[in-house]
Amino acid sequence: MSSKIGLIISREYFERVYKKSFIITTLLVPIIMLALMALPTILMIFHESDTYNYAVIDRSGIVAASLQDTETIQFSRVNMPIDSAKADTRFDGVLVIGENAIKNPSNIALYNHGASSLDTEGSIRSQLKNIIENERLKAYNIDNIQQILSEVNANVQIATYRIAEDTGEEEASSSSETSFITGLAMAFILYMFLIIYGQMVMTSIIEEKNNRVLEIVVSSVRPEQLMMGKILGIGLVALTQIAIWGILLFTALGYVIPALLPADVLADVAAMNAGQTASMTNDMEMVQAVSALTDFGHIATIFTYMVLFLIGGFLLYSSIYAAIGSAVDNIQDASQLQSVALMPIIIGFVCATVVGAEPNSTLAVVLSMIPFTSPMLMMVRIPYGIPTWEPIISVIILYISFIAMVWIAAKIYRVGIFMYGKKPTFKDLIRWARYK
Amino acid sequence: MELLKVEHVSKEYTGHKALNDVSITVNQGRVYGLLGPNGAGKTTLIRIINHITAPDSGTVTFDGHTLCQDDVAQIGYLPEERGLYKKMKVGEQALFFARLKGLSKSDAELRLKEWFDRLEISSWWDKKVEELSKGMAQKVQFIITVLHNPKLLIFDEPFSGFDPINANILKNEILRLKDNGATVIFSTHNMSSVESLCDDITLINKSQNILTGSVAEIRSRLGANRYRITFAGEADNFLSKLDGNIMEQNIETVSQTEKSLTIKVTPLVSRRDMVKLAAETLDLTTFAPALPSMDEIFISTVEQFNNSQK
Repeated sequence: MSSKIGLIISREYFERVYKKSFIITTLLVPIIMLALMALPTILMIFHESDTYNYAVIDRSGIVAASLQDTETIQFSRVNMPIDSAKADTRFDGVLVIGENAIKNPSNIALYNHGASSLDTEGSIRSQLKNIIENERLKAYNIDNIQQILSEVNANVQIATYRIAEDTGEEEASSSSETSFITGLAMAFILYMFLIIYGQMVMTSIIEEKNNRVLEIVVSSVRPEQLMMGKILGIGLVALTQIAIWGILLFTALGYVIPALLPADVLADVAAMNAGQTASMTNDMEMVQAVSALTDFGHIATIFTYMVLFLIGGFLLYSSIYAAIGSAVDNIQDASQLQSVALMPIIIGFVCATVVGAEPNSTLAVVLSMIPFTSPMLMMVRIPYGIPTWEPIISVIILYISFIAMVWIAAKIYRVGIFMYGKKPTFKDLIRWARYK
Repeated sequence: MELLKVEHVSKEYTGHKALNDVSITVNQGRVYGLLGPNGAGKTTLIRIINHITAPDSGTVTFDGHTLCQDDVAQIGYLPEERGLYKKMKVGEQALFFARLKGLSKSDAELRLKEWFDRLEISSWWDKKVEELSKGMAQKVQFIITVLHNPKLLIFDEPFSGFDPINANILKNEILRLKDNGATVIFSTHNMSSVESLCDDITLINKSQNILTGSVAEIRSRLGANRYRITFAGEADNFLSKLDGNIMEQNIETVSQTEKSLTIKVTPLVSRRDMVKLAAETLDLTTFAPALPSMDEIFISTVEQFNNSQK
């Protein structure tokens, strides 16, 4: 008997895994994701900014000397009337600094041919601000003012740690920002998988019902077995895809990232992972992100949870989709009933940002326990490092719910597959579920 | 010996009574015709025999025990609405269904090869089903139905979609399976194939069994006191003499001069009386007892039942 389910599972599985579209999407999606992530960097590399040449007419006599050329701006101190400087085609614009600019910083004007860029304006403004502030401080005649200023200047960076519940020891954890992005990414993956693979179950059942092959299959196996075989076969396809992506991800994290990063960053990452932060020379945010991404234990834990929630969520939703698919004759008729399955998935995904912003709020905890939204929302919370019992309870609730849902769906399916013609309502489905 | 016994089976589908106290008995090695108008409940009964749906009440006994899931390995079912997985290759698909019925892979391959050779379709093995014509797919489906050598074969409209040559091949295969000991249930609207194939029939109408028996017995029972007479001229005189005893009459013109009268009379009129009366009052050409065709039995029995319900 169980070998019959096995036959159905393997038929459903191989039919899909050997499809060209499956192979292509499985390989293409990671490439597209990588391309999307790399896009800003690539744009930066190919972005060539022009150099702007500004004529500076300094009536204060102090400011111009301290202006420094940048990569994109060149200052030419000139001594000519404003109008002739404006007319001079060698210059892209004219910066006019008023006589009492130190006292009255609004007495500064920038004339441009065409629109000036936001970057240029900002860069000039901040230079002028520093120069004027320095000049004002000098006016107080404090000794060693330069030294005092450089000593006072503070660059604050926070390394966040999580106190592990079980050991009481400190562990380096990723920053909230990294957690937020990781959580949202997982919620998105689950959202996509639940919808795509859930609908795959539905359309496949509708197709079988439509071309009547179903009648032959159920003359050999119980309808419930056919339904379970189909759900499990398609579920295995989803797992295969996730597994391939997982392998690609771990390869990328294990080999590609270390190979691309400079040695001093890696040294800092190693120091961070060892719990020493004192000697760091690199940007803390980046070190933390890399540290989180190359922390295999952390990633493996998250990945395991994701697979657990994917399995539970898929079984829960695909059984709803199976019941709907069995009841209708064509996809058009399914659209209305489908909202029963689609709405909670969408609600779960929409709530992901709210839950990510406040991962320990009551709303977040409740939504990550309700089986219809827990697959997505618990995955949003897990990267923040919540107590282990929470995801475990959530998984248990989810798995009990899917068993119940499969049972109800099987009852609807059994009746639904032989109903042709009439477009059923949600009420009909409930009546079929109660049918002896 | 009884292979299948369906007793007092009723089945209701959300307010609609699909079967109402139906009983049939199918004997080993016979071809059993399941007849009835569309929507009479035949498919529901077949599904119950196939253990696809369970009856609300009543029992199904198969091969001496209550029908159970394991028995489906002993049943082959060809549904009226044919369907195969379109994207799957013919051979692969036939293997899949054979193994679902419990055959081992090697055993199934061996039998499939034999069947494909006999029906001369070996070259289709690696073709996808969607590349086959309707008739070709039907052949494949027929093989899938009979491959596991079931004790009971159920064919729902097996000849629809076949050209006469292939229909004849199929008919001979069915008879060959019967000779090898298989029992066949045969659901159809094609009454001429019932006459040539079926040993017993049941006629289901409006969810009820309204006629059961062997084809020969039913025909001779319903054909009693029924005659076909050809004559020239008019039959008014003949008919008026029989007034009150006519149960059924139908006059057709055979040629310019000749007419044919099919007539059924009450048992009060003996054959001797009929012959005498016909000889006296008609310009007689032929006089013969007329066994009704299955077509006529079907129509008259269903109409009679429907009229009695009004």
